[in-house]
Amino acid sequence: MPLIEQAVETAARRPVLSVQNLKTHFLTDAGVIKAVNGVSLSVGEGETLAVVGESGSGKSVTGLTVMRLLGRTTARVVGGSIEFIDRDGKAIDLLNLSDMGMEKVRGHDIAMIFQDPMSSLNPVFTIGNQIAEPIRIHQGYGKKEARAKALDLLRQVGISDPESRIDSYPHQLSGGMRQRVMIAIALACDPRLLIADEPTTALDVTIQAQIMALLKQLQAERNMAMIFVTHDLKLVDEIADRVAVMYASQVVEEGPVDQVLGHPRHPYTKALLECIPSRRDAQGERRQLHPIPGTLPNPLSPPSGCRFHPRCAFAADICIASDPELEAVARDHVTRCLRWQEVAL
Amino acid sequence: MSEQADIERSAAEIRVQPLLSARGITRHFGNDGGMFSKASAPIRAVEGVDLDIASGEVLGVVGESGSGKSTLGRLVLRLIEPTSGTVSFDGKDLCSLQTGEMRRFRRHMQMIFQDPFSSLNARMTIGDALVEPIALHLGLRGQAARDAAVGVLERVGLHADHMKRYPRMFSGGQRQRIAIARALASSPRFIVADEPVSALDVSVQAEVINLLQQLQKELGLTLMFISHDLSVVEVITDRVMVLYLGRVMELAPTESLYGNPAHPYTAALLQAAPGMTSVKKHILKGEIPSPANPPSGCVFRTRCPFAIDACAHTVPTLRPVGPDHLKACIRDDIEL
Ligand SMILES: Nc1ncnc2c1ncn2[C@@H]1O[C@H](COP(=O)(O)OP(=O)(O)O)[C@@H](O)[C@H]1O
Ligand SMILES: Nc1ncnc2c1ncn2[C@@H]1O[C@H](COP(=O)(O)OP(=O)(O)O)[C@@H](O)[C@H]1O
Ligand code: SF4
Ligand SMILES: [Mg+2]
Ligand SMILES: [Mg+2]
Repeated sequence: MPLIEQAVETAARRPVLSVQNLKTHFLTDAGVIKAVNGVSLSVGEGETLAVVGESGSGKSVTGLTVMRLLGRTTARVVGGSIEFIDRDGKAIDLLNLSDMGMEKVRGHDIAMIFQDPMSSLNPVFTIGNQIAEPIRIHQGYGKKEARAKALDLLRQVGISDPESRIDSYPHQLSGGMRQRVMIAIALACDPRLLIADEPTTALDVTIQAQIMALLKQLQAERNMAMIFVTHDLKLVDEIADRVAVMYASQVVEEGPVDQVLGHPRHPYTKALLECIPSRRDAQGERRQLHPIPGTLPNPLSPPSGCRFHPRCAFAADICIASDPELEAVARDHVTRCLRWQEVAL
Repeated sequence: MSEQADIERSAAEIRVQPLLSARGITRHFGNDGGMFSKASAPIRAVEGVDLDIASGEVLGVVGESGSGKSTLGRLVLRLIEPTSGTVSFDGKDLCSLQTGEMRRFRRHMQMIFQDPFSSLNARMTIGDALVEPIALHLGLRGQAARDAAVGVLERVGLHADHMKRYPRMFSGGQRQRIAIARALASSPRFIVADEPVSALDVSVQAEVINLLQQLQKELGLTLMFISHDLSVVEVITDRVMVLYLGRVMELAPTESLYGNPAHPYTAALLQAAPGMTSVKKHILKGEIPSPANPPSGCVFRTRCPFAIDACAHTVPTLRPVGPDHLKACIRDDIEL
């Protein structure tokens, strides 16, 4: 896309969520786990931001902090801000909102879906009940109207013959069907932002393709903002406009998908791409996979300086000594690498 | 030698001396004379599969969950008994072996699972976990057994220091290495790896794939590699079998299958898999039907974008469409 057009498109996207320098820590018996340590993210109307990283990098905790779904006894937000911009353009400080206020945001503005729908669905209520309830509470519908709306939502999420499904219990449905129900519940409040945390990870590729297509379609129809959390880089290209790559509780690179995946500017992003089995190269040869040396850092004692330095092929003394900040490498594209100007990735 | 000749040669080798052969292998579950056996139809997990794997070959098995991959893997190792059909290994009919004989035979055939935790005993040190199969199958005792255990540990990139540790002290990737070492301990010729990298992070996954590939080459192992991840299968296999509701839909050399899928189900799987093709012509609709009540004719017809009336009446046979390339679809007039 020509740069000018891209600039226009970016500018036209009204911001929906802006997370700045967020820090969420867990106080455990073994010590403090800095699960999210200085994460900044933003997403606009009609835009999808993918958050990608290996397990334990802090993706879910970031989403849960935005939703304020973490228990206060162990999880502490020790820094940063989360700003949500509502339909009227008013900025709401989510971290300092009352519990009641937050409850309202979750019913009207931001919804979240998870990898395992069973953990969010109540096994003793029918799915119709579970979709209709929030509609009645948050939108003041009567029983009949709420049921009609639930039927309509089931239809929208691609459940054929919803009349015969609406009175089913969660265990009577397949995994793909349950995820559709979760999406219906999420959409019931007509959210401005949907946070989808690995929504297809437990599904077969065929069902994954269906759910991805559904999410894309619903997002376009509703001009929703979406944060799509995944460990699978291969999905990013299919769904997202921008991508944030996380490593050890931090965003290490963020930018437009084409740029970040096509011309990564952080050694970790590059290394992650080299691990992915992909089609053969131009000569038809099988590409050798290049694992990243070493192991993921211990969350209780992450390395000093650049968190990636013990595994990085380009690490120098400075990488052990100084903490890298996010720096702009191009418009809209940032990297957290001290040596990005010197290394050829 | 040209690629074509290569392929034909390997096809010929398989015909001459397959290491493992299955004929009409079938497994039904649930209708074993139990209380409800009359009321409910049996689950047809694997239905009439013919299969030859050449010595040193890596055969991939793909398909959605519930398509019968794991059951097929357990059948060819005779970890479960077939409802009908035969399996032979190195010319020996496995089903004719008595329990004791079969136990001795096990040293030649091993299995690696998705979850390395469940296949390792949490209260056993790694050393003990390795010495056990070495003593059982190779008859080694004491220091000799421990030396052999260190040998296999080193083969998988771990070392003697690790012998005294317990599984929980290892990362997921290291545990999978240990599970591989345990499978290798009896010096098997054939290994069934059932989703061995599916639970691992990509960086660790790449490590384990490289390790399996290296071991396979060095030891001349024959491998059945079961996975739902088509991109991993493409990297590691020589040939691929596509299963759906327990039946073989397509069987072909890897390059030929990925480059020219001949069965609508294979094409749909490849299009659904992220990053495999840029073409997304058909998103496969619906879900895999119950194996207790498979569709008549072609079992795939209820989801097939190319199904015609005849598909409901004819059970497609697995027939050649190219060198060593077989498909079970009655239509030849379709553009995938
Ligand atoms: N409830 C919790 N208590 C303690 N530590 C936690 C808790 N939830 C997550 N963590 C830790 O926080 C880190 C980030 O976890 P998470 O956000 O779930 O990672 P991801 O979603 O990227 O796989 C991990 O080290 C994890 O162990
Ligand atoms: N021990 C068992 N008892 C009953 N049904 C089984 C058993 N094992 C597998 N099945 C059924 O057989 C079918 C094939 O299963 P499986 O071989 O595990 O498929 P895959 O590995 O491809 O997911 C599924 O419908 C499954 O539920
Ligand atoms: S036989 Fe018919 S239903 Fe089956 S794959 Fe071919 S075209 Fe589709
Ligand atoms: Mg997570
Ligand atoms: Mg299985």
